[in-house]
Formats: sequence, C-alpha cells, structure tokens
Amino acid sequence: MLQNELFDNVVRDFNTGYWELYKNPNKEVWSQKFYESIGYSNKELEPSIDYFLEHLIHKEDVAVFRDNFLNYKKNDVNFKQHIKILTKEGSYKLFRCTTNDELPVNIKSEVNLLFFFEIKLEPEQAITKDNFYYKETAQMTATGSWYVDFAKRKSYWDFETRRILEYPDDYIPSLKDSANYYAKDCQQQAADCFFNCAMAGTPFNTEIKMVTANDRVFWVRAIGKPVYNDNKEIIGIRGVFQDIDDIKKKELRLQRSIDIIASQNSRLFNFAHIVSHNLRSHTSNLSLLVQLIEDIDNPEEKIELVNEVKQISHSLNTTIEHLNEIVAIHTNKDQEKKVIKFQDALNLVMNGIGQTIALSKTQIEADFTGLEEIDYIPAYLESILLNLITNAIKYKHKDKDPVIQIKTYIKESNKYLKVSDNGRGIDMKLFKDKVFGMYKTFHYNKDAVGIGLFLTKNQVESLNGTISVESDVDQGTTFIIEF
Amino acid sequence: MMSSKIGLACIIDDDSMYVNLIKKIIEAKSLCQNLMVFKNGEEALNYFEVILSNLDKKSIPEIIFLDINMPVMDGWEFLEGFTKIKNKLGKTITLYIVSSSINPVDIERAKSINSVKDYLIKPVTIEDLESIFLNQPA
Repeated sequence: MLQNELFDNVVRDFNTGYWELYKNPNKEVWSQKFYESIGYSNKELEPSIDYFLEHLIHKEDVAVFRDNFLNYKKNDVNFKQHIKILTKEGSYKLFRCTTNDELPVNIKSEVNLLFFFEIKLEPEQAITKDNFYYKETAQMTATGSWYVDFAKRKSYWDFETRRILEYPDDYIPSLKDSANYYAKDCQQQAADCFFNCAMAGTPFNTEIKMVTANDRVFWVRAIGKPVYNDNKEIIGIRGVFQDIDDIKKKELRLQRSIDIIASQNSRLFNFAHIVSHNLRSHTSNLSLLVQLIEDIDNPEEKIELVNEVKQISHSLNTTIEHLNEIVAIHTNKDQEKKVIKFQDALNLVMNGIGQTIALSKTQIEADFTGLEEIDYIPAYLESILLNLITNAIKYKHKDKDPVIQIKTYIKESNKYLKVSDNGRGIDMKLFKDKVFGMYKTFHYNKDAVGIGLFLTKNQVESLNGTISVESDVDQGTTFIIEF
Repeated sequence: MMSSKIGLACIIDDDSMYVNLIKKIIEAKSLCQNLMVFKNGEEALNYFEVILSNLDKKSIPEIIFLDINMPVMDGWEFLEGFTKIKNKLGKTITLYIVSSSINPVDIERAKSINSVKDYLIKPVTIEDLESIFLNQPA
C-alpha cells in the first residue's frame, strides 16, 4: 500500500496524463489528467487502445504507436514517441509519449505505465520562435554570426553580419579577399587570429577595426572558434562580429583624457618640485647668512654680510619671475589663437635680436613653403622661435659662424617646425633626459640660465604639441616641434 | 680658536652665493687650512683625473661637499666617475652630498652609494659644519 501511495504522489507530481496497462484482465486505465489534457471527462470516452487508435491518435502516428504499445505491453520494451492526439474541440495536440523508465528509479510500479507529456508548441513553431529570439538578440546587440567552411572554401554571413558591415542582404562574402574586410593596420592582426585558429585550433576574442562596404572604419569585437569533424580535424571557423564602435570610441576618448590628465599631473608635480627646489636654494642661503651674521662679532664684517642679503633677494626675485613665466604659460593657453604666417613671426623675432644676429654673424635660412601659416598663439610662436634661435647662437660652434635652418612641413597630416643649427651640439647620451629641464645647462656659459628650452617645451605642450631634439656633439642640434 | 685638523676641503657646487657663505664660515671658524671649489662635476672630475697621474697627496681633499643639481655634469654623474678612481687615490676621502632637494628618491639614492658618507639638506648649520670638520678622522 505504501508503495502505491508513494507512486501516486510521484505520478501526481508529474502533473501529466498517463495510462496504467494491465494484462489480466487485459485493459488500460486512463488517468483523470489524461482525459483533461485532451478536453474530455472520463465519462465521455471509452478507455481502450482500440478506441484510441481508431478515433484519437493522428493517422500518421498510428502504425508506429501500435507497434510500440504492443511491444511495451507484452515484452516490456520501453519507448519514446511524439504523437498527435485529437482533442474534444477538434484540433490535434502534440504529446511526448514515454514509458516507465522515465520514472525515478526507486519507484517500482507493479503495472506498466505510459505517460503523455504535453508539448506546448509544435516543433516548427518552436524553431520559428527560437529564430525570432536569435534575430532579436543579433539586432539588439549588433552581433553578426559567420562561418568559414574550409572544405567548400566559402564563408557565410548571417543577416546581421551583412547589416553591420553595410553589405546588401544578397551579398556573398569573399574568402579570397577577406583581408579587405579589415582596416589596413589591422589586417595582420586578423590574419594571425584566423591562421592560429585554423592551424592550431586556438580560439580568438579580440577587438579589431573592420571596413564596411561604404569604406567606413569601425571597431568590432571578433570572436572565433574552430569547428571539428568526427575525426577531430578542423574543418572551419565559426564566430561572431559585434559592432562595438561606440563603446570603443568612448574608451579611446577616455584613455586620451586620462593621458592628458596624467601628463598635466606630472607637469604640475614637476612644477611643484621646481618651485620647492628653486626657492629652497635661496632660502637656505638666507638662513646660512643669518647664522653667519649672528655668529660674527666684528660689526664691520656684519655690515658687509648684510650687503649679501641684497644679492640673495635679487636672485630670489629672478627665480620668482621665472616661475611666474611658467605659470603664465598655463593661464595664457586660453588666449586667442590666430592664423600667423611663420615668416611674419620670424621677422618680428629677427628684428628684436638683430644686433645679436649681426654680431655673431649668424645666417638664418628659412623655408616655409611646406607650411606657410598656422593657427597658434602669436606670443608663443615668437617665443619658441626666439628661444631656439638664441639657443643656437649662444651655443654656436667655436670654429664656425652659426647657420640656422628653419623649415616647416606637413607629414601624415601633422604640422611640423624644424630648427637645425651647426653649433657645438649636446651630448645626447649624457643629457637626453635633461635638455628640457629647468636650470639645466650643458655648457659652461656665463649667460646660460637654463630656462629657455624649459619654457619652450611648456608652451608647446600647453597647446597639445610635442617637442623633440636630436643632436651630435660638434655637428649641431635639431629641434622638431609637432604642433 | 680651534686649530684645524683638516688640510684640504673641496666644494662642488654651482651656487656661488652658497659657496661664498661656506667659505666665510670656514674662514671664521678656521675649520680647514685650504678650500678648493668647483662649479660643476666635470671640473671636479677633471681635477681628480689629473691628480691620479701625478699623485700628490697634499692636493687630495679629505672632505668633499657635493651638490646634486649642477650644469654640465651633475652630482650623480660625478659620483659615477669618482667611484671608479677614488681607490687609486691612496687617501680616504669623506664625501657628503649637500643639496636643497628634499626628494626622498634623491636621499635614498645617495644613501645607497658607498662613497657617500651622508646626505645633508640645505641649509646646513654652522654647528653641522663644525661637527663634520672636527670629527673628521685625521
């Protein structure tokens, strides 16, 4: 009895219709749920296999079901079959028909059971539904699928791959020219991914730039994995392309902002160091001087020392003026930019230091044909030219009259200014990191203050440009500014 | 007045005001008999290289006060060159770095160099100088 109870519970929990198959006497008992599932009450139908085969089961399923049923009843051969059963309202419903072996193993039934699990959707409908979800997912996430078949030497794209790559629906992708689907600078990356996947079975998941049919370059996440046949040979690659252009561009913009902030931070930090160091050297001299004044008893000597205060005060002022100039660069960078002719700026500078140029017999050769003008803060351009020219004169070669070549040009749509001299040069092995540092001088020159190049670099960078230097001792120095 | 034990001290520093003041303190306190001054590392290193070929112990300082930030050749580069030759000079030289840099990176770096006895941050005091000179082993 207990076994029956247990069994009843389990069957009830299955929540599905079933038959109990008895051999002696030979009959079937249909459960309440079975009647309900096809819309009848137990009074309305004759529960027999003959009636079922004749009136309820779909004609297509009769033969197979009859064989299965009899084999099960007589020989206990389990089976599974999809069958359609006519409901009271006249339509067919699909059921998965299964036997005892679907029951939990610890429940042993005395009779053979046959369960009828209702399948809510017809198989074709289910596929249509899945297909709908797949399309929705593909469109909403802009993810296209593709397959490369090695045997047929063909690639296949789904509708979404065509859409994100801006090709028409009937476009047939070319395997031969597949490199052209990627941006020039990404073709190697794509080739590596596909080659490794095809040869070694290495799956890939990468961000790469692709080119649409309309020649628009955009960012894609490309994921691919190898497809194997039964012999474990790689016969193709299957994967997806997801359009991540928006997010990737945001990421790149963010990265650029981070870089700018980092470089500003480092300039600020550097500036704090400079301020601290440069002011400290004067204050420590002052403090040393005060100690000395206190320590010395001779009044005449004391007065002499007091005069030194003047000198320190003067140096302190100079330093603060220099620091002000640097601060001014960063506050001035919002000054209005103007289109300036390089020749005009150069003329201004050369008028200002005409005497220095004449005295040093400096020859200036300017060529602005490559780029005649630029949108820049006029004061900065003049200051940059002035610093580089005076620098070249100050550090001229001892045996040669200075020759300064100034040239502007455009390379890969970037604008450049190049200033070369034939001076004594800078030993780049020793001074590479210091050329643009504050108060760094490389030659023992009385008028070397080491502020010019530091200012120049700050001016260039405050307008998002860069400055670099190349130099050989005794040959000369070349500064290149990228605006 | 104390009589100085030190024969020759050396300052390598480009700050002429600082050098003048140190000179005055040394004179006033008679901390050493002679003082030599170099404006940067290169001048100083050249001097030591010349001394090497013409060993005259009297021309070798017992104490060096070395600045870090200098034009042409800074204190670090001087130390690099100096470390290579100092054992050949046949005389113990006590070297102090004296800098206005309070950057911990500089201080750590200085302390990791064997030839450097200590790192003094400017401003130095007269007491500091006196104790350095008076405690200097002869």
